[in-house]
Amino acid sequence: MFLDRNHMFHAIAMYISMTTAIFLIFAYAPTDKMQGIVQKIFYFHVSSAITMFFAFFVVFVASIMYLWKSSDWWDAVALSAAEIGVVFCTLVLITGPIWGRPIWGTWWSWDPTLTLTLVLWLIYVAYLMLRIDAHDPKRARFAAILGVVGFVDVPLIRWSVEKWRTLHPKPVLIQEGGTTGIESSAMLLTFVVCLGAFLLLFFYLLWERTSIAQSRHSLEVLRQEIDDLLTR
Amino acid sequence: MKNFWYLFAAYSTVWIALWVYTIRLSRKNKELQEELHDLQARVERVSTK
Repeated sequence: MFLDRNHMFHAIAMYISMTTAIFLIFAYAPTDKMQGIVQKIFYFHVSSAITMFFAFFVVFVASIMYLWKSSDWWDAVALSAAEIGVVFCTLVLITGPIWGRPIWGTWWSWDPTLTLTLVLWLIYVAYLMLRIDAHDPKRARFAAILGVVGFVDVPLIRWSVEKWRTLHPKPVLIQEGGTTGIESSAMLLTFVVCLGAFLLLFFYLLWERTSIAQSRHSLEVLRQEIDDLLTR
Repeated sequence: MKNFWYLFAAYSTVWIALWVYTIRLSRKNKELQEELHDLQARVERVSTK
């Protein structure tokens, strides 16, 4: 078997929640009366956005820890979380226009929320480009600084959703005053399961990617040892 | 219910692709770690001779 016991439990929980989410979205949650079937993109779009924010928060914390401790493990966590965050940010930027076209009548609008999300994607793509040579400590430090500074865009996006009058709707999940805008309990349950599936997927990918990054580091050390043995 | 099946197909395709990707990633990672341990053991044996 290719997984240890704890990791196997995590994988099973992830696969079950993913299957349950699909079932709930299409067989349990009611279809929205105003938007119709296209509203079901909400479960994917908002879950991706929350997971993306969480991933970039992990990059932020891991980058601070790397700058403080200079530990390769924190660097590997930051790089892995940035890779996964960019994937989820891409999902947000793809599902948003698919949802927006029939509702707004346009694929894209340069309003603050959409533009700031695109900027966030560009910041972390730049982070990944900086890390093409992952073993250069100077690049790793620059990237860590970018990982910390780039996170400033995340609260700006949240703020733009709440305060700016744009095409993008106001927060649905948690509104001002702590109430939820999801009226149907079936929709809320479906959303919670879908978000759980995305977060489990995030942690699973983070574990795997960090493990691969550590193996790469061990391989570098081993290469150095072999070079030393050959030149003896 | 116009476009229901398209949306269902899109969701299912992404989910199945993620399943396949995570399984492949785990398998590759496990193989890589085994190979690395094997290589480390060999280097240790050579260096202690």
